[in-house]
Amino acid sequence: MSEFAGMEDLLQDFLIEAGDLLSGVDNKLVDLERSPGDQGLLNDIFRGFHTIKGGAGFLNASAMVTLCHLTESLFDRLRNGETAVTPETMDVILAATGAVRDMFGEMERGVMPHPADPALLAGLQAAISGEAATGAPAGPSGTAPALPAGGGAEPDWQLLLGAVTNTPVPSREAAAPVVVEAGASPDKIIAAAIGRRATDMPGATGPVGRRDNERQRDNSIRVDTARLDQVLNLSGEIGLTKNRLNALRSDILSGRNDAETLHALDVAVSQLDLLVSDLQNAVMKTRMQPIGRLFQKYPRIARDLARNLGKDVELVLAGEETEIDKTMIEDLSDPIIHLIRNAVDHGVESATERVAAGKPVKSNVRLEARQEGDHIVIMVSDDGRGMDADRLRAKAVSKGLISDEEASTMDERQSFNLIFLPGFSTAEQVSDVSGRGVGMDVVRTNIQKLNGQIEIRSQQGKGTTLIISLPLTLAILPVLLVRLGEQPFAVPLSMVREILPIDVSMVQDVGGRATMVVRGDVLPILPLSGLLGWPQERVPEYGVLMQTAEMSFVLAIDSFAGREDAVIKSLDDFRPKGVAGVTTLSNGQIVLILDMKELLGTTPGIPRSALIKRVAPEEVAVVG
Amino acid sequence: MADSKLKFLVVDDFSTMRRIVRNLLKELGYTNVDEAEDGAVALQKLNAGQFDFVVTDWNMPNMDGLTLLQTIRRTPQLKHLPVLMITAEAKKENIIAAAQAGASGYIVKPFTAGTLAEKLEKIFEKLGKSASA
Repeated sequence: MSEFAGMEDLLQDFLIEAGDLLSGVDNKLVDLERSPGDQGLLNDIFRGFHTIKGGAGFLNASAMVTLCHLTESLFDRLRNGETAVTPETMDVILAATGAVRDMFGEMERGVMPHPADPALLAGLQAAISGEAATGAPAGPSGTAPALPAGGGAEPDWQLLLGAVTNTPVPSREAAAPVVVEAGASPDKIIAAAIGRRATDMPGATGPVGRRDNERQRDNSIRVDTARLDQVLNLSGEIGLTKNRLNALRSDILSGRNDAETLHALDVAVSQLDLLVSDLQNAVMKTRMQPIGRLFQKYPRIARDLARNLGKDVELVLAGEETEIDKTMIEDLSDPIIHLIRNAVDHGVESATERVAAGKPVKSNVRLEARQEGDHIVIMVSDDGRGMDADRLRAKAVSKGLISDEEASTMDERQSFNLIFLPGFSTAEQVSDVSGRGVGMDVVRTNIQKLNGQIEIRSQQGKGTTLIISLPLTLAILPVLLVRLGEQPFAVPLSMVREILPIDVSMVQDVGGRATMVVRGDVLPILPLSGLLGWPQERVPEYGVLMQTAEMSFVLAIDSFAGREDAVIKSLDDFRPKGVAGVTTLSNGQIVLILDMKELLGTTPGIPRSALIKRVAPEEVAVVG
Repeated sequence: MADSKLKFLVVDDFSTMRRIVRNLLKELGYTNVDEAEDGAVALQKLNAGQFDFVVTDWNMPNMDGLTLLQTIRRTPQLKHLPVLMITAEAKKENIIAAAQAGASGYIVKPFTAGTLAEKLEKIFEKLGKSASA
């Protein structure tokens, strides 16, 4: 049972908005470290804590009020120049934001936040009173009982308020006094400061990459009212067009079918067509959110990480305004954390190594998003040591993930892709930062779940770039309709490279498998019937050249039925193997959308054979 | 007794807070409520529409609540508007500054519908007196 009964809506709003605010504060703190005297930053951070405090008060989260109040008081002194920003104050401030974030976590789970670590509160107090013992800012006594009241000299604000404004003394209910919990370890502060818990690791969250306790946040979305107005507008227009069609129907039913009426019908239908596609776009736009909201939290994570490792790393963000489907933003959060961790931990060299290599000590890790056609591309690049293909192969062999022979046939790209194998970790020593080799395979699985791909580019000595490419939205999928006999199936157009006729005389047998040569590449031919377990009734006439992250192949089919933008309907409880969902064609026919990866048997955690061999093991029934 | 026709403007940069205040006002029977996210936006709305009451936060970007209050009091067609200041601080300087700038009332976060009702009542009472005087 939630401790926020009756306030669930408010709580959700608060968590979303205050969460964004806190991420903003975190980023500004990273900036503040670089320019400690910046008045604008100090003001913004002050206001951030102040606002969170105000909201927390209404939710009766007194522990959060106390913590935010102390931090805010500290910033009040900092911005008034009464105290200077020192590394020690930065540490305690960063610890405080971590603790606030943890409290958000508790609230998400419907639990009233527990009082912050007394050591942290004491640290804040010390920072506040450190330089000037007198005049410690006095807070609202009802909400910040942990604060020293500043002695008996403090005037009674409430009486004063009443006197000055001629209004009655506000009847403030005293918040429950904060119970100071003894014995919390300083490790907790560090963990809080780093702002991640064990569950933040993609591996620890399971392949879905979404924590149960995050559900509370998942259901709401903030939409620009202008976009909603557009939706409303279009629905209105569609209503008008519908009325027009109704009128035309009555006309036609009553026998009017002259050229003029038919022309009017044609115009109305085309108009409806246009409006509906506009409406679809408009509705989709309401789901789009700037990715900056996600990016915001990473500079802090990168900074903490780098500091832990004794490195000087700056995370540079670009393309924050790029818009992406909200569901994807949530599911991308953990994979990107992992990529950044990898970049900072493994990619970037130690200071001495960098100097020896003639590089500046400070390294840049770049997190960038942009839209390329109907795809969103997210890149995490570092200017570190780059990946060593030989070392990766040796590592994979020594771990027993691949054989010597397999290793010797791998090109550079395939070697890089080894890091996606389950159980692969190049860190000689497991560091507490980058995890334990559970990362990259989970990252890739999560990206693939979003119909995305991940690719590695690396140059030794220059750095590594990981490139994630994702469809703009998950709701509408461009598909190619293919036929087996009379039965149509839909395959995702994103995987289709080209369509070619299968000339039986060109089909060759290589290693007992049917293949054909397409511009110098020997590609296996996989008949769709075979993948579906259907009998092969006739010789396939066409091939669809398809490409997945691991392989290219020719899918053999009987004929085509065209292409379509499919609105995916998922089969909630019933999900046959290899079927991603269904869609309805313009003629009303229901078509299965195939999940090619699943059909190919390259389910999450692909076996090594699929990674290195270009031929999948399926039997082929093409007449050779 | 609440006059539901009274038009309120709630000014706060934190939308959660605007919603809280809006809900509390609704509880008291005031349903005609508009929102603004800072003092500058508030002034635009006040100049454009017929508002009867302003409830504003203090600490906001662009234009803070105190500046908003001062500007309202300086503007002939707005200066009669009752302005209730909301803040998380109960500092003496703040209260004095608000009172000097001409705030009709001052309320400290967090507060309940009851507290808000009391404040509003007090303000209306004063207004009524000055109107009949």
